[in-house]
Amino acid sequence: MVKAIISTLAALAVSIGFFIWTNGYLYKQFDEFHGALETLYDKIDDETATREDAYSVKKMWESKKRKLHILIPHNDISYLDYWLSEACGLIYNSRYDLALGKVEVLLRITESLPDAYSLKLENVF
Amino acid sequence: MALVFIRTAVIFITLLAVMRIMGKSQIGEMQPFEFVITLLIAELACIPMADSSIPLLYGIVAIIAIFILHQTVWLLDLWFMPLKTVICGKPSLVITRDGVDGYQLRKNNLDVSDLIESMRTAGYFNLDDVYYGLFEANGVFSALPKEQLTHTLPVLLIDNGKADRKNLKIAGIDEKYLQEFIAKQKTKLKNVLVMTVDSDGRVYFQQKGKPYKILRAEVKGQW
Repeated sequence: MVKAIISTLAALAVSIGFFIWTNGYLYKQFDEFHGALETLYDKIDDETATREDAYSVKKMWESKKRKLHILIPHNDISYLDYWLSEACGLIYNSRYDLALGKVEVLLRITESLPDAYSLKLENVF
Repeated sequence: MALVFIRTAVIFITLLAVMRIMGKSQIGEMQPFEFVITLLIAELACIPMADSSIPLLYGIVAIIAIFILHQTVWLLDLWFMPLKTVICGKPSLVITRDGVDGYQLRKNNLDVSDLIESMRTAGYFNLDDVYYGLFEANGVFSALPKEQLTHTLPVLLIDNGKADRKNLKIAGIDEKYLQEFIAKQKTKLKNVLVMTVDSDGRVYFQQKGKPYKILRAEVKGQW
């Protein structure tokens, strides 16, 4: 009986700890990426964004997504990959007007994605 | 991740409630919550394995959630007796010294043919072979048998006010004879809860809300 209570409470405590950590980790990763995208957005808006700027944002995302694969569905990561590749391609060709729209989408996704995994009533049902 | 946990808990509670409402005919030999866990664990383990777009961690967290819920239900089951009844159900006495209890059968979504089938599985072929018969909370039929068992195989002629034409044919009884037989008991077909007859013409006859009677009838069928 005591063993059962201890194992249940231990599992519950570990689970709650893990949930809190995961929630914080997801928000932190997406906040950092969102910040980098905002900087890129401003540069595109000023038409000063370079190939290196786009490359560094892409590199940042590549390092983050390796860890995110463990925590969120891979389809969501592929979705971000798709929009980022399009935006980078347009920046490489200096198509700033079109790249702006793509980065706008990316900003929206990085804002809303962590919310989709947070503990909210609308997500439960 | 907390989302997976909550979603799993919601599914668990929903399934458990549904299984409890469905009654004993649906659950075999497991307690309702054990059955729910068996259903869920199999699915939870399979989905992340089969769908590579879902992180395996989702399956693991859901299974841990199931473990916590199982332990919680088990502990509640031990500590609070009223909760044990709510979660696991309680035995239903379906055969008393007065015969079949139609209300208890209905409550468990069973009919007389289901009861007879469960009795046969337990080794009793006549409804009056037992003093008491009950369905345990896990769906198993238990009985207190009489000292002398009958050694015939009865067929069910009337189940809850409805005549079974196929069995009437097997017993070689026509509907006119059945109507006369019922009229002799000063009742109507719709008021008969159960009527069986064996090859010796021994009839188990019970009206709704009344004790059973053992009567005789002419049978022409051979079985």
